[in-house]
Amino acid sequence: MHLAPWFWFVALALVCAGVAGLLQKLSTNHMSAESALIWLVVGFSVLIPWLYFGNPMAKYSAPSLTWVFVGGVLNALGSWALLAALESGGKAAIVIPLTSLYPLIVALCAPFILHESTTKAQGVGIVCAVGAVILLSM
Amino acid sequence: MQFLFTVGTLPVALAILAARHFRLERNIFGVTYSLSNGVLSAAGMMALFAAYRSGGNTSVITAAAALYPMITVALAVVLLHERVTRIQVAGLVLAAVAIVIFSL
Repeated sequence: MHLAPWFWFVALALVCAGVAGLLQKLSTNHMSAESALIWLVVGFSVLIPWLYFGNPMAKYSAPSLTWVFVGGVLNALGSWALLAALESGGKAAIVIPLTSLYPLIVALCAPFILHESTTKAQGVGIVCAVGAVILLSM
Repeated sequence: MQFLFTVGTLPVALAILAARHFRLERNIFGVTYSLSNGVLSAAGMMALFAAYRSGGNTSVITAAAALYPMITVALAVVLLHERVTRIQVAGLVLAAVAIVIFSL
Protein backbone atom coordinates (compact mmCIF):
# COMPACT_ATOMS: atom_id res chain seq x y z
CA MET A 1 0.00 0.00 0.00
CA HIS A 2 1.40 3.37 -1.02
CA LEU A 3 0.81 6.27 1.34
CA ALA A 4 1.20 9.89 0.26
CA PRO A 5 4.25 11.81 1.60
CA TRP A 6 2.03 14.20 3.56
CA PHE A 7 0.69 11.25 5.58
CA TRP A 8 4.14 10.48 6.97
CA PHE A 9 4.75 14.14 7.84
CA VAL A 10 1.39 14.29 9.65
CA ALA A 11 2.20 11.03 11.48
CA LEU A 12 5.53 12.53 12.54
CA ALA A 13 3.82 15.74 13.69
CA LEU A 14 1.27 13.69 15.67
CA VAL A 15 3.92 11.60 17.40
CA CYS A 16 6.12 14.62 18.18
CA ALA A 17 3.27 16.66 19.66
CA GLY A 18 1.78 13.66 21.46
CA VAL A 19 5.07 12.66 23.08
CA ALA A 20 5.77 16.34 23.89
CA GLY A 21 2.54 16.35 25.94
CA LEU A 22 3.80 13.40 27.95
CA LEU A 23 7.19 15.08 28.45
CA GLN A 24 5.47 18.18 29.82
CA LYS A 25 4.01 16.08 32.63
CA LEU A 26 7.29 14.24 33.24
CA SER A 27 9.26 17.51 33.40
CA THR A 28 6.95 19.01 36.03
CA ASN A 29 7.41 15.87 38.12
CA HIS A 30 11.04 16.94 38.56
CA MET A 31 11.02 20.76 38.51
CA SER A 32 8.78 23.82 38.77
CA ALA A 33 6.62 24.96 35.86
CA GLU A 34 8.78 28.09 35.54
CA SER A 35 12.04 26.17 35.13
CA ALA A 36 10.36 23.65 32.82
CA LEU A 37 9.17 26.51 30.58
CA ILE A 38 12.63 28.10 30.43
CA TRP A 39 14.28 24.81 29.42
CA LEU A 40 11.43 24.15 26.98
CA VAL A 41 12.09 27.50 25.27
CA VAL A 42 15.81 26.65 25.09
CA GLY A 43 14.95 23.36 23.37
CA PHE A 44 12.43 25.12 21.14
CA SER A 45 15.03 27.71 20.13
CA VAL A 46 17.54 25.07 19.00
CA LEU A 47 15.63 24.76 15.74
CA ILE A 48 15.35 28.54 15.14
CA PRO A 49 18.01 28.56 12.36
CA TRP A 50 16.09 25.91 10.42
CA LEU A 51 12.89 27.89 10.83
CA TYR A 52 14.56 31.08 9.57
CA PHE A 53 16.21 29.77 6.39
CA GLY A 54 14.19 30.30 3.23
CA ASN A 55 11.63 32.39 5.04
CA PRO A 56 12.60 36.07 4.62
CA MET A 57 10.47 38.27 6.85
CA ALA A 58 10.83 41.35 4.64
CA LYS A 59 7.90 40.20 2.53
CA TYR A 60 5.49 40.55 5.49
CA SER A 61 4.02 43.80 6.80
CA ALA A 62 5.05 45.22 10.17
CA PRO A 63 1.58 44.67 11.73
CA SER A 64 1.63 41.01 10.60
CA LEU A 65 5.05 40.47 12.12
CA THR A 66 3.96 42.19 15.33
CA TRP A 67 0.90 39.95 15.68
CA VAL A 68 3.01 36.83 15.09
CA PHE A 69 5.46 38.00 17.77
CA VAL A 70 2.59 38.66 20.19
CA GLY A 71 1.28 35.19 19.31
CA GLY A 72 4.64 33.74 20.37
CA VAL A 73 4.51 35.63 23.68
CA LEU A 74 0.96 34.42 24.36
CA ASN A 75 1.94 30.88 23.38
CA ALA A 76 4.72 30.95 25.98
CA LEU A 77 2.35 32.29 28.65
CA GLY A 78 -0.18 29.58 27.75
CA SER A 79 2.53 26.92 27.99
CA TRP A 80 3.50 28.27 31.42
CA ALA A 81 -0.12 27.97 32.62
CA LEU A 82 -0.35 24.45 31.17
CA LEU A 83 2.85 23.38 32.94
CA ALA A 84 1.59 24.95 36.18
CA ALA A 85 -1.63 22.93 35.86
CA LEU A 86 0.41 19.74 35.42
CA GLU A 87 2.76 20.69 38.28
CA SER A 88 -0.17 21.21 40.63
CA GLY A 89 -1.34 17.62 40.10
CA GLY A 90 -3.31 17.77 36.87
CA LYS A 91 -3.29 14.55 34.85
CA ALA A 92 -1.69 14.73 31.40
CA ALA A 93 -4.60 12.64 30.07
CA ILE A 94 -7.01 15.41 31.11
CA VAL A 95 -5.02 18.67 31.01
CA ILE A 96 -3.56 18.26 27.50
CA PRO A 97 -6.90 17.50 25.73
CA LEU A 98 -8.59 20.24 27.77
CA THR A 99 -6.08 22.90 26.74
CA SER A 100 -6.23 21.76 23.11
CA LEU A 101 -9.80 23.07 23.07
CA TYR A 102 -8.42 26.63 22.82
CA PRO A 103 -10.08 27.13 19.37
CA LEU A 104 -13.30 27.40 21.40
CA ILE A 105 -12.11 30.84 22.56
CA VAL A 106 -11.35 31.82 18.94
CA ALA A 107 -14.75 30.57 17.76
CA LEU A 108 -16.54 32.51 20.51
CA CYS A 109 -14.58 35.75 20.00
CA ALA A 110 -14.31 35.79 16.19
CA PRO A 111 -17.88 37.02 15.54
CA PHE A 112 -17.37 40.03 17.85
CA ILE A 113 -13.74 40.94 17.11
CA LEU A 114 -13.25 39.80 13.51
CA HIS A 115 -16.92 40.11 12.51
CA GLU A 116 -16.87 36.53 11.21
CA SER A 117 -20.07 34.50 11.08
CA THR A 118 -20.27 31.13 12.82
CA THR A 119 -21.17 28.16 10.63
CA LYS A 120 -23.48 25.35 11.77
CA ALA A 121 -20.51 22.97 11.95
CA GLN A 122 -18.64 25.42 14.16
CA GLY A 123 -21.76 25.71 16.33
CA VAL A 124 -21.71 21.92 16.79
CA GLY A 125 -17.99 22.18 17.58
CA ILE A 126 -18.67 24.83 20.24
CA VAL A 127 -21.36 22.65 21.88
CA CYS A 128 -19.04 19.61 21.83
CA ALA A 129 -16.15 21.63 23.24
CA VAL A 130 -18.25 23.07 26.08
CA GLY A 131 -19.56 19.57 26.84
CA ALA A 132 -16.01 18.21 26.79
CA VAL A 133 -14.78 20.91 29.19
CA ILE A 134 -17.60 20.09 31.63
CA LEU A 135 -17.09 16.32 31.46
CA LEU A 136 -13.28 16.48 31.66
CA SER A 137 -13.51 18.74 34.70
CA MET A 138 -15.66 16.24 36.64
CA MET B 1 6.78 33.66 10.33
CA GLN B 2 7.37 30.55 12.44
CA PHE B 3 10.80 31.99 13.22
CA LEU B 4 9.31 35.14 14.74
CA PHE B 5 6.68 33.09 16.61
CA THR B 6 9.51 31.15 18.25
CA VAL B 7 11.41 34.36 19.03
CA GLY B 8 8.24 35.62 20.74
CA THR B 9 8.60 32.94 23.41
CA LEU B 10 12.03 34.24 24.48
CA PRO B 11 10.92 37.42 26.35
CA VAL B 12 8.58 35.36 28.55
CA ALA B 13 11.34 32.87 29.38
CA LEU B 14 13.78 35.73 30.12
CA ALA B 15 11.22 37.55 32.30
CA ILE B 16 10.59 34.39 34.33
CA LEU B 17 14.33 33.81 34.63
CA ALA B 18 14.84 37.40 35.87
CA ALA B 19 11.98 37.02 38.36
CA ARG B 20 13.79 33.95 39.71
CA HIS B 21 16.99 36.06 40.10
CA PHE B 22 18.55 33.97 37.31
CA ARG B 23 18.47 30.85 39.46
CA LEU B 24 17.47 27.89 37.36
CA GLU B 25 16.70 24.36 38.52
CA ARG B 26 19.04 21.83 36.93
CA ASN B 27 17.53 18.48 37.83
CA ILE B 28 18.90 16.22 35.10
CA PHE B 29 15.56 14.51 34.46
CA GLY B 30 13.63 17.77 34.42
CA VAL B 31 16.14 19.41 32.07
CA THR B 32 16.20 16.40 29.73
CA TYR B 33 12.41 16.13 29.57
CA SER B 34 11.95 19.89 29.07
CA LEU B 35 14.64 20.24 26.40
CA SER B 36 13.24 17.20 24.57
CA ASN B 37 9.80 18.72 24.87
CA GLY B 38 10.97 21.94 23.19
CA VAL B 39 12.83 20.16 20.40
CA LEU B 40 9.93 17.78 19.73
CA SER B 41 7.40 20.63 19.71
CA ALA B 42 9.44 22.55 17.14
CA ALA B 43 10.08 19.39 15.09
CA GLY B 44 6.36 18.60 15.13
CA MET B 45 5.58 22.07 13.77
CA MET B 46 8.19 21.69 11.05
CA ALA B 47 6.73 18.28 10.10
CA LEU B 48 3.29 19.86 9.91
CA PHE B 49 4.53 22.62 7.59
CA ALA B 50 6.28 19.96 5.48
CA ALA B 51 2.95 18.10 5.23
CA TYR B 52 1.23 21.29 3.99
CA ARG B 53 3.98 21.83 1.41
CA SER B 54 3.86 18.22 0.16
CA GLY B 55 0.54 18.71 -1.58
CA GLY B 56 -1.98 17.10 0.78
CA ASN B 57 -5.45 18.42 1.49
CA THR B 58 -5.06 21.24 4.03
CA SER B 59 -8.29 20.44 5.89
CA VAL B 60 -7.43 16.76 6.24
CA ILE B 61 -3.88 17.50 7.39
CA THR B 62 -5.03 20.09 9.95
CA ALA B 63 -7.79 17.86 11.31
CA ALA B 64 -5.53 14.81 11.55
CA ALA B 65 -2.68 16.69 13.24
CA ALA B 66 -5.07 18.32 15.73
CA LEU B 67 -5.75 14.90 17.25
CA TYR B 68 -2.31 14.79 18.90
CA PRO B 69 -3.79 15.00 22.44
CA MET B 70 -5.18 11.51 21.94
CA ILE B 71 -1.58 10.25 21.57
CA THR B 72 -0.75 11.96 24.87
CA VAL B 73 -3.80 10.39 26.53
CA ALA B 74 -2.80 6.91 25.34
CA LEU B 75 0.79 7.41 26.50
CA ALA B 76 -0.29 8.84 29.87
CA VAL B 77 -2.61 5.89 30.53
CA VAL B 78 -0.06 3.27 29.46
CA LEU B 79 3.22 4.77 30.71
CA LEU B 80 2.14 6.99 33.63
CA HIS B 81 -0.73 4.70 34.68
CA GLU B 82 -3.11 7.65 34.86
CA ARG B 83 -6.71 6.64 35.36
CA VAL B 84 -9.56 8.19 33.43
CA THR B 85 -13.17 7.84 34.55
CA ARG B 86 -15.96 6.88 32.15
CA ILE B 87 -17.32 10.42 32.30
CA GLN B 88 -13.90 11.77 31.37
CA VAL B 89 -13.67 9.25 28.49
CA ALA B 90 -16.95 10.69 27.21
CA GLY B 91 -15.37 14.13 27.56
CA LEU B 92 -12.33 12.98 25.56
CA VAL B 93 -14.59 11.74 22.76
CA LEU B 94 -16.43 15.07 22.68
CA ALA B 95 -13.09 16.91 22.73
CA ALA B 96 -11.84 14.87 19.76
CA VAL B 97 -15.02 15.68 17.82
CA ALA B 98 -14.71 19.39 18.68
CA ILE B 99 -11.02 19.49 17.72
CA VAL B 100 -11.73 17.91 14.33
CA ILE B 101 -14.65 20.28 13.64
CA PHE B 102 -12.61 23.36 14.61
CA SER B 103 -9.77 22.18 12.36
CA LEU B 104 -11.91 21.91 9.23
